[in-house]
Amino acid sequence: MKNWQWLRTDPELKKKLLLREQVIDLLRQFFKTRQFHEVETPLMWPVPSAEPYLEVFETELLSPTRPPQKMYLLTSPEYALKKLIAGGLGNIFQITKAFRNNEGISNKHNPEFTILEWYRVEADYAQLMTDCEQWLVELVKKIHGTNQLVYQGKKYDFTPPFICLSVTEAFWQTLGLSVDQVTSIDALKSKALELGYQVGEEANYEHVFNQLFLNRVEPMIAEQTKPVILYDYPVELPSLARKKASDPRFVERFELYVAGLELGNAFSELTYLKEQKERLLADLALRRKLGKKAFPIDQEFIEALEAGLPPTAGMAIGVDRLVMLLADTAQISDTLFFPLAV
Amino acid sequence: MAKLKAGNISKGIYVLHNGQPHYVAKTQFVSPGKGSAFTRARLQNLKSGATIDFVFKSHDSVEEIDVESKEMQFLYLGDDEVVFMDPRSFEQVSVPTALLDGKEKFLVPELKVYVQFYQEKPIGVNLPPKVEMVVEQAEEAVAGDRQTAGKKTVTMETGLTVQVPLFIKKGDHLVIDVDSGSYVSRAN
Repeated sequence: MKNWQWLRTDPELKKKLLLREQVIDLLRQFFKTRQFHEVETPLMWPVPSAEPYLEVFETELLSPTRPPQKMYLLTSPEYALKKLIAGGLGNIFQITKAFRNNEGISNKHNPEFTILEWYRVEADYAQLMTDCEQWLVELVKKIHGTNQLVYQGKKYDFTPPFICLSVTEAFWQTLGLSVDQVTSIDALKSKALELGYQVGEEANYEHVFNQLFLNRVEPMIAEQTKPVILYDYPVELPSLARKKASDPRFVERFELYVAGLELGNAFSELTYLKEQKERLLADLALRRKLGKKAFPIDQEFIEALEAGLPPTAGMAIGVDRLVMLLADTAQISDTLFFPLAV
Repeated sequence: MAKLKAGNISKGIYVLHNGQPHYVAKTQFVSPGKGSAFTRARLQNLKSGATIDFVFKSHDSVEEIDVESKEMQFLYLGDDEVVFMDPRSFEQVSVPTALLDGKEKFLVPELKVYVQFYQEKPIGVNLPPKVEMVVEQAEEAVAGDRQTAGKKTVTMETGLTVQVPLFIKKGDHLVIDVDSGSYVSRAN
């Protein structure tokens, strides 16, 4: 049966599905009371994101007088929001649908999902960590009446401060790797071989890092009974994050995890035009190497950077997973009125 | 043995992992933050029965084991084994109940299944995706108030309990999804 049919007889499911409304209201209220502007940006763009590991949905814009033009559904509103920052809007946020192709449909993935992004100007990722601590505990308190909630039979405490763990500390705790080893592809490869993983010729830093991370580090993070902020990622992993001034082998980026659910990704934005251009070109080159369609660079985004971005930090949150957590369900389909069924 | 890319392994197949035969009980696509594609697989060791989660890079190569698959009919449930029969040769085979991983509750009389053999030994049973069975026990629905009424739990002929809409009665034939154990519809 479909969710709309179950709604007629299942009050538990109805409660779960209606939680989305409450979550979105509370998030909106949180940012509005802090003088963020809420903005609306297009779902469809002539140039897609260049991220090497994301697949986009394509469509065509037809016109009676011109040849058809390829258009793409956004994978995140990141570029549009940065253009608005360059336009001088200041602190902004958006709650929107986003689309990712070829990620499979699972208990945690729906190809069409809801994303919250907010950007703070004159700020870095440390302020975003504080934001996370504040809105997350506020949501839990308003919805559950206390700082705690039970998710899939386990109790989690959202009282700040959250557990803050650097990627290096996490690799040290779980795999005994030092800072120098975490940043060295050779050291990671020999650790992977020692653990019996396949390390082929084509294995790059990202592959080996993530295989170690997913097999060994993520399970440790999933065991924590408080939210975890995992911060300072190696610069070799693709992102548009700014390098750390104190150690350029890492970038100022963090991910927020609760109960093993990856809720979001944040960073101090890269604002240097030259470095940004280089990384975009590197991303496109990687796409070609991976046999994926390479797209042109978003020139308007480059123009926005030329116009100048103030120091900015931004974060994206997967709203559906947030609703899963608050509704105590392991199925993303319990949070969507119309989950895509296959 | 056939080589497969880890990204193509799927639930229900048998693979060699660390030199041991394993059953793939579950797979999930994983895409970490800004990373490439990975496949998280739940693997059950056919010798020890132990289950592990392992994350493969999608282009890792995995060896699929050759298993023989034979169509058989469910006969009866023993103490800790399930007995199936080949409807052509009438040959009978006993499979340890543990290998069915709870799926024995979907075995209705004469159900056709596929029994998997590895080196002549039965190692698993594939059930059809949907099974039709009869409701054995159901409480009467409380009349009227649709707003507060919920689902109810009924017990099927095999002892399986299922959440169903309120209009379901004892004796109804239902279609049940074997994978999730959930109610699909009434059977006609």
